[in-house]
Amino acid sequence: MSLLDLFKWFDATPISKIIRDSTYIFPVVEVLHLFGLTLLLGTVTVISLRMLGVGMRRQSVSEVASQLQPWSVGAAILTIVSGILLFLSEAMKCYANAAFPYKMWLLLGGIVLFFVAHRRVTSPTSKLSSGAMKVIAVLSLILWYGVAIAGRAIAFV
Amino acid sequence: MSIFEICQWIQDSSIGTGIRESTYVFPLIEATHVLGLAVSVGTIAIVDLRLIGATMTKEPVTDVIEQLQPWTLWGFVSMFLSGGLLFWSEAARLYPSYSYRTKFIFLFLLGVNALVFHSTTYKSVDSWNNDAVTPFRARMAGWIGITFWAVVIFMGRWTAYNLK
Repeated sequence: MSLLDLFKWFDATPISKIIRDSTYIFPVVEVLHLFGLTLLLGTVTVISLRMLGVGMRRQSVSEVASQLQPWSVGAAILTIVSGILLFLSEAMKCYANAAFPYKMWLLLGGIVLFFVAHRRVTSPTSKLSSGAMKVIAVLSLILWYGVAIAGRAIAFV
Repeated sequence: MSIFEICQWIQDSSIGTGIRESTYVFPLIEATHVLGLAVSVGTIAIVDLRLIGATMTKEPVTDVIEQLQPWTLWGFVSMFLSGGLLFWSEAARLYPSYSYRTKFIFLFLLGVNALVFHSTTYKSVDSWNNDAVTPFRARMAGWIGITFWAVVIFMGRWTAYNLK
């Protein structure tokens, strides 16, 4: 099965057809995608700013990260589930879209980085140096904002 | 000269036309507008969630509000600048849109909500600063904030679809 066959299959699911046939489902799901993006990028930004030492400095990195990360995860789930629905309804458009693969690779990078860094950032006993902390923060900002930029680009390329 | 004619004139100006017809400028401004959401509404959502007791409950309310405020402000600057440029390029299309008008009504109501909260309930913050469960009026301000911002995002996206 080639990648093209796979995308054709996604494009033809019953859910894909229902979303395509409705005037309102797609915009409503896209609004939910935006809600998720706002909360995901918002919390990731604040955690990263703390790791860089430029925001929320009265709290420790672990205090900020451990309390905000559940919201990052919840928002990520909302964004990804709504994103899958959007994708199903226009899988063939995504297949031919130059920005879509970039978005997916950046997303994969963001998810991998989260699981690699998660414990080290939220643990109060973390031995992570402030230099390593800053590298993770910058990488995280680049990857997640990159996902959003590449996502917006899908509509224009 | 009617307001619609003024909007038409704004849209037809050389800058408005230039933005609208450019290959890169319009998408870049729009991308800035979407990313600005995270910094402006994202940080405000954290404050509202603190007020309703849903996150950062171990930290004083003032710590959350004071430390996020400068970032919210920068987020707003990028939102209003990019939003202003988007309006410049499509003023006559946006002015009659009901979703666009609704968006601004709710932005205004959000301003009132923030003003009321800061000039009343927030004045007594010292007595509830460390409480996980804040006073009823503070929780209300938080719920109104989250709900109305959701309406603003909804109406903003709806406007782009040109759905009344």
